[in-house]
Amino acid sequence: MKTMIWSIGWKNVWRNKTRSMVVIIAVLLGIFVGTMTSGFMKGWINQRVHDIIYIEESHVQIHNPDYLFNEELQFTIKEFEKVVHIIDTAKGVVAWSPRVKMYVMAQSDWAASGFALKGIDVEKEKKVSEIHKNIIEGSFLEGEYKIPSIVIGSKAAENLKLLNYQVTSGKLDSIDHELFTDEVINKLQNIGEKRYRKEKDFRSILSQSLSIQEYNKYGDKLTEYFSFYRMGIKIKLTIQNKNGEIEQPVFKVRGIYKTSNTMFDGLTAYVDRKILNQYTGLNSKEVHEIAILSTDNETGTELGERLSSYFPESNVMSWRKLSPEVAMYTDFINLIGFIYIGIILLALAFGIINTMLMSVLERVKELGMLMAIGMNKKRVFSMIMLESVFLTLSGAVAGLIVSAIVVKITNRTGINLSFWAEGLEAIGYSAIVYPVVTVLDYIGVILLVILTGIISSIWPARKALKLNPAEALRTE
Amino acid sequence: MKVIELKNVEKIYNDSEVKVHAVRGVDLIFEEGEFAAIVGPSGSGKTTLLNMLGGLDKPTSGDIVISDIHISELTGSRLIDFRLHNIGFVFQSYNLIPVLTAKENVEFIMQMQGVPAKKRLERTKELLNEVGLGDRLDSRPAQLSGGQQQRVAVARALASKPKFILADEPTANLDSKSTENLLDIMEKLNKEEHITFIFSTHDARVMKKARRVITIEDGKVIRDEKK
Repeated sequence: MKTMIWSIGWKNVWRNKTRSMVVIIAVLLGIFVGTMTSGFMKGWINQRVHDIIYIEESHVQIHNPDYLFNEELQFTIKEFEKVVHIIDTAKGVVAWSPRVKMYVMAQSDWAASGFALKGIDVEKEKKVSEIHKNIIEGSFLEGEYKIPSIVIGSKAAENLKLLNYQVTSGKLDSIDHELFTDEVINKLQNIGEKRYRKEKDFRSILSQSLSIQEYNKYGDKLTEYFSFYRMGIKIKLTIQNKNGEIEQPVFKVRGIYKTSNTMFDGLTAYVDRKILNQYTGLNSKEVHEIAILSTDNETGTELGERLSSYFPESNVMSWRKLSPEVAMYTDFINLIGFIYIGIILLALAFGIINTMLMSVLERVKELGMLMAIGMNKKRVFSMIMLESVFLTLSGAVAGLIVSAIVVKITNRTGINLSFWAEGLEAIGYSAIVYPVVTVLDYIGVILLVILTGIISSIWPARKALKLNPAEALRTE
Repeated sequence: MKVIELKNVEKIYNDSEVKVHAVRGVDLIFEEGEFAAIVGPSGSGKTTLLNMLGGLDKPTSGDIVISDIHISELTGSRLIDFRLHNIGFVFQSYNLIPVLTAKENVEFIMQMQGVPAKKRLERTKELLNEVGLGDRLDSRPAQLSGGQQQRVAVARALASKPKFILADEPTANLDSKSTENLLDIMEKLNKEEHITFIFSTHDARVMKKARRVITIEDGKVIRDEKK
């Protein structure tokens, strides 16, 4: 019996093709926009969570509680060797990295800036964090030099006026002639090789050399093309040693990194822990922070809870506590996506109800006949409900196919929001978003759509059930 | 054998401000194998009477007994089920489900009755053959003429193996050739297989074929002739 009712339901959808197509296209668009938006948000959050864990915080951090309260040099982790031993044998630990952490003032010849200096064990840090993969200029603390190396972020380099602008002959020779006209390139040759420390000054010389149209068209690209980081520049750090005395070691900038979080880039610098200890007077067993990387986020959370029971004298925090706002996003992102799609479907439901009502009202005589020959109420209801579900589902499946294709493409290429890059990166969000839609999301959407189809059919189906077959048969 | 018995059946429509006394004290008995026509001018109450016979309407008073069941006492799904298993319907128009083929239309009613697939298909083919549409199994109603559609409706009505078939002006929309053809088929089914047919009609050709003509006027049986 069931198959025949299903078949009638499906065929009834196509009785009025134009009317059904209007609904199907509306559902298609709604589902497409809905899944893309939620996939987009999810991709964004995933990227942020990834950066938080693999660049900024890692899964678990251990501190001396006093250090968190009052970030002073002497508050190192107690019983370091015992702590390390337990971490080494704990399940779910992939790698760990000890860090000396202090707030310092840095000074170049042209500017000063404050940042959080991390003294790290390079090889251990590389296993815990991906910061070394984000180097855009130079290297991540490689090699030994008389004047030791420091790695700073791109924003810090900018703050210290290490981002300069210069029209060099080398860069002019290798300029892409397809991007810029020969006329513009000729004009650039007249600027000369003067170096500018401020973007503003370089832009002003550019605008003087080029016409207004040329400047508006090429200004941004040229500024970016002729910008460069000055490597090997000495910077002087002002730090306090264990005895409370001021030390002013000099480091050379030999690496610059860039993440999608401008604030982090402006505030975090890395040096070798051994070298830093020479100035602070700390020994190799005195560290402020141990960062632990786990196999995945869930295990990381669980590992944090487990370790905190082992180290009553230390403060152990998982990434959920280190970045509660991101933890909250990850918890709610699925729900938010479904609420969003739910709202779209609610709006669509009115269209579906309207179409189904029309469909029922123009079939009064036929419905009367079906009830007269012995089709019971359950079957009449099922027939109309299935028609409504099929109608909705057709649009939804089409919408999901379109979004699956678009997600597949954009997941590889990314959606480029570089227009707003500055603003987004200031709050730690990448300007290139890779949308993520999982199989579970698709299943969830399908279930929501079926539910919408069923709910939308209730009113029209009730209308049909209220028909009196004898009267229905007599209507014209 | 008695198939239907009507005892002092009255029908008063009360829903508008005017009371309409549609059927007034009708007593009738239909025997198995009858080929009967209910005739009368429009507004005489014949459609009301037919609806009550088919369980689509309830008498205000009186009793209708079909194979020992007092159908005026049945309600809701029991009444629908009773119709499904006991009464075959042929209406003036809109008899068929437009999205289904002739074969599926006939099968559908048996599927509702729970007849197994193999048996269903056999009987569908047999019935469509009997009404002369053995070669149109897969045609949709829109691809069939009005007469052919009514023949599918007859096959559908027979498919459920009902106690009798009620046909409400089955020839009203047909040309004379199709009418002739349909009547021949129904007469043959009646004679060879003892299927009971009850029509309501205006059509003189139907009246001519009928072996019993019941004339109604103002809700009363004024004549009941058996040939």
